[in-house]
Amino acid sequence: MSARFKTKRILVKRSYQFLAVLLIILSGGLLLLPEIQKHEGLSPEYYVKNMLSTERYISTDELADRIINEDPALLIIDTRTTEEFKKFSLPNAINIPVSEIFNPGNNLYLDQEVYDIVLYSNDHFFAEEVWMLGNRLGYQRLYVLQGGLNAWFNTIIKPTYPDQTMSNEEFERYNFRKAAGKYFGVATDTIEIITEVKIAPTPKKKVVPKPKKKKRMPEGGC
Amino acid sequence: MGPLIPNEIIPVEWNFVLAILIGMAFGYIMEASGFSSSRKLVGVFYGYDFAVLKVFLTACLVSLIGLSYMNYLNWVDLDQLFVQPTYLWAALIGGVIMGVGFLAGGFCPGTSLCAVGIGKIDGIAFTIGLFIGIMIFSELFEWIEPIYEDYNLGHVTLDETIGISREIIIFVFTILAILAFAVSDRIRKRTKKIFY
Repeated sequence: MSARFKTKRILVKRSYQFLAVLLIILSGGLLLLPEIQKHEGLSPEYYVKNMLSTERYISTDELADRIINEDPALLIIDTRTTEEFKKFSLPNAINIPVSEIFNPGNNLYLDQEVYDIVLYSNDHFFAEEVWMLGNRLGYQRLYVLQGGLNAWFNTIIKPTYPDQTMSNEEFERYNFRKAAGKYFGVATDTIEIITEVKIAPTPKKKVVPKPKKKKRMPEGGC
Repeated sequence: MGPLIPNEIIPVEWNFVLAILIGMAFGYIMEASGFSSSRKLVGVFYGYDFAVLKVFLTACLVSLIGLSYMNYLNWVDLDQLFVQPTYLWAALIGGVIMGVGFLAGGFCPGTSLCAVGIGKIDGIAFTIGLFIGIMIFSELFEWIEPIYEDYNLGHVTLDETIGISREIIIFVFTILAILAFAVSDRIRKRTKKIFY
């Protein structure tokens, strides 16, 4: 074996040794690194993005539709006080006031991934508070009833009659709301939607015989 | 492509470009280091060439240690990495079939395509066999499915199963890998030299 080949072999071996030592030092370094405090939960960017998104809102029409169709994946939570809840609440709603949101007993309802939870209050502000806290805690599938019970009254219980110039969709929505209102115990009538424009049959032309003018005899006059 | 895209250093559209470039580099280096030769690949089983073992273990170590440091520096979130679920029976039987196929054919799926790339006939024959195998598997899937999906352990990792911290496992794994390199070198020196 020539001397040159020998030195080459040793050099190759040294590079392997160097790599082996480097790997050991790097993996050992991981052991010696101090513990780091990682941000738990949501990153601030993600949180802000969630806050700005309007995906969390559910309209009163959609909620009414889901209640009527007895959606098994729907859980309605009333975030108002107990007194207000006793006076009126949506069907099958559960009362969890904002002040009791951190009560460990309520985690069963909020911290799950099976139901779509719809939060509501008189307007949507209390519900929004619960949504924000829940979102921060990493709860899934939380929704807010847009406009809260006020919107519920203005749309489902007492819908405004659409203007005559409005589109058919508006009338259909009105009818849906009236029908939904009936389901929730409001007695009203629906209006007929004009789906086809009825054209009145063209009346037959009546032939009116014109009285012939009788030729008058020339009247003389002198 | 972490950590560059999640940290908004380069836009997300670069994902595909980088994937193609990395793929090309991977194929080139694999071919350049002789991985398109089935003699080199099966050398691990006969003890005259341990390049495959060394390359794969080094790749494992580099990614393991690199990702751990990136996780420490908050560049990458290790908890968001997808962990393949472990189907015990499928892994065991599939591993045996893969090993037998590797030894008999002289390639693994990736290296066979590498060999096709440079026009090797054995590589082409292997790849045709590969596709026939895929077809048979798909046709018999209804029968195989109960075994295929049996004994699902979920997304398990070694540190969670044993209950030892991830860093200790990485350190022990590094030592073991380097020992394996040294031992394989010894074995290679003792076996008869084969020129290919």
